[in-house]
Amino acid sequence: MASISAAPSYLPLALIDKCIGSRIWVIMKGDKEIVGTLRGFDDYVNMVMDDVREYTFTPQGKKITHLESILLNGNNITMMIPGGDPEEGEKAGAA
Amino acid sequence: MSQAQLDGSLAAPSALQQLWLDPLHAWPAAQTPPAMSKKSPGDFIKQVLGRPVIVKLNNGADYRGILTCLDGYMNLAMEKTEEYVDGELKHKYGDTFIRGNNVLYISQQPKK
Repeated sequence: MASISAAPSYLPLALIDKCIGSRIWVIMKGDKEIVGTLRGFDDYVNMVMDDVREYTFTPQGKKITHLESILLNGNNITMMIPGGDPEEGEKAGAA
Repeated sequence: MSQAQLDGSLAAPSALQQLWLDPLHAWPAAQTPPAMSKKSPGDFIKQVLGRPVIVKLNNGADYRGILTCLDGYMNLAMEKTEEYVDGELKHKYGDTFIRGNNVLYISQQPKK
């Protein structure tokens, strides 16, 4: 019986490691998203990011906070999208 | 013309300004990371210790002050702390301890 040859695979964190130095879109628990340039991260996926925009979605609307450099706690991260940007998503949606 | 010369003479002592600024940056020359290099959470902590930071908690409150110490749980102590709720200054505290589980992020306060 032919065995399936092991396909080349990446660990999830190896993929994130490839994103260091580029923009990344982080979606947090509870109506919060963060976009910035990834500088580094650790085993808990605490992340160091530069040139950050923090989006907070409230019933009153979207609130954007700009931050120079942050250490983001990994505890509330749900999803990370390399190169992603919610603004671009809106543009694509509008088009 | 004299204005331009005045500007030039003002720009000249920037090395002196740097001398003033450098001790604050506190990076040993060997460790100084190039602008676009990896920066792990540990590096970030070393960089911001003793400097003004903004700490945002999960409940949305901001604490602005000088970061005095920080551990692996993101428990942290701050001095000259100002508490902002919904962008409004609510309280000022001399010394503050924040339990790490509440911390959403620690942000370097931009130089004014």
